[in-house]
Amino acid sequence: MVSVLTGGDASAQDVIQGGTDSGSALSRGMSTFWQYTGFSNITIGNIVMLLVGLFFIFLAIQFNYEPLLLVPIGTGIILGNIPFIEGFQIGIYEDGSVLNYLYFGVVKGIYPPLIFLGIGAMTDFSSLISNPRLMLLGAAAQIGVFGTFIGAMALGFEIHQAGAISIIGGADGPTAIFASSKLAPELIGSIAIAAYSYMALVPVIQPPIMKLMITKKERLIKMKPPRAVSKTEKILFPLIGMILTLFISPTALPLLGMLFFGNLMKECGVTDRLAETARTKLIDIVTILLGLTVGASTQASVFLTKESMMIFVLGAASFIVATAGGLLFAKIMNLFLKKENKINPLIGAAGVSAVPDSARVVQHEGLKSDPSNHLLMHAMAPNVSGVIGSAVAAGIMLSFLM
Amino acid sequence: MSYLLDAVNWPQIWVITAVGYSVVFTALILLIFVFKFMPKMLNMQLKRRLKKEGKYVERTEGDEPFIAGEVNAAIGTALSLYFSDLHDDESKIITIKRVERRYSPWSSKIYNINNVLPTTHR
Repeated sequence: MVSVLTGGDASAQDVIQGGTDSGSALSRGMSTFWQYTGFSNITIGNIVMLLVGLFFIFLAIQFNYEPLLLVPIGTGIILGNIPFIEGFQIGIYEDGSVLNYLYFGVVKGIYPPLIFLGIGAMTDFSSLISNPRLMLLGAAAQIGVFGTFIGAMALGFEIHQAGAISIIGGADGPTAIFASSKLAPELIGSIAIAAYSYMALVPVIQPPIMKLMITKKERLIKMKPPRAVSKTEKILFPLIGMILTLFISPTALPLLGMLFFGNLMKECGVTDRLAETARTKLIDIVTILLGLTVGASTQASVFLTKESMMIFVLGAASFIVATAGGLLFAKIMNLFLKKENKINPLIGAAGVSAVPDSARVVQHEGLKSDPSNHLLMHAMAPNVSGVIGSAVAAGIMLSFLM
Repeated sequence: MSYLLDAVNWPQIWVITAVGYSVVFTALILLIFVFKFMPKMLNMQLKRRLKKEGKYVERTEGDEPFIAGEVNAAIGTALSLYFSDLHDDESKIITIKRVERRYSPWSSKIYNINNVLPTTHR
């Protein structure tokens, strides 16, 4: 404490040693102490960000919106916006601080592939394997990525920054962080917060677009139950998927490689222990570190800028475009399908890769129209193909712009 | 940031967008093709093996090629209920059982000091 307090005109040691002139020494010591407190250094920006952090925590606890992400991020925002005097290795942007070491995993893109490993180990691709054509919906929803890219360029962002921002449209937090760590590290905080905020708000953003675009009659369409998938197919899926997609987009290797590796561990049946660790402890640890450090990276002085505001606007637009793209493509697909094979266009909204939230929203909306129409299994197919699609899209952006 | 739209190389942006979007589609369409034909190939292999072993039975028209998800769910639920109803097989006799132990000389009373010392006989 004493060493921390030394450095100003007076120090805490002055307070202790100054026996003769104790009154003024005490006041000088107290004033130095005051200078080091958060109360003395607070800015309006800090107050705004502290309120944002508290709002995130409120959303998570009160409405259960992605609590596993919003609680660490909200707490991180609070931690990152406690005012302090720089130079004591406290802040996330100060070399050698604890938070700086933890943030290394974000800046260098280490955490996102580990999250993908966990996602792979917990995802069941059988609905996708049983009805592969639903993968098209995952590809269609990537219009959000490329639409945002054009939007960001039109708003005047530099091309690398535009590429990083565009991945928000994939509705995939880890992919957005990975891409921005490579293309525009200065925007990681804004991009990650925008991506995760809108992912948490999927239950609020998507239903109005669904209501707007899908008719009552279309919502009542019942799809054929997915066929049973053999174990061989489940094992072959990650292997073939890995080789095929990585040959097309090798820059997505860290993400897709880990995703399919995690899935192989789950499905092969001989590495249950590894799969269990990847989908529970490992992903939990990485989520805590990622959420906390991404939150802490939003120091008001760095975060509250015009660019961040524009990124938020682009993020909202990209989610809307991606959802609308998926829904529209599902409607177009129905024009070419036989009556018995028609798909419920609501599942197009699950093409954005917010797993499993958007699939859950589809199920919820489907049940509202017909309480016996369960769309969750069908919606999981475009949902997981959206994960693959957004990783491929990020890989393409990286290969074009790096 | 440059706010001059004229400075942006728009043809390059359109190329990235068009190529990128088509590559995403190509990757997933390839996967669709592979997984559309994979079950057929696997079934063909199985059919050939069964024919060789003479166990192959030609499927009649109307047979379901795969078990429907609902049937699977029903079977799964039934099995789950059955297994959750099972308990360890117990003897149902709750008594204190005599435990048989192998003999061990450790801490045996016959070797204690009282037995080693010579006893005086009156």
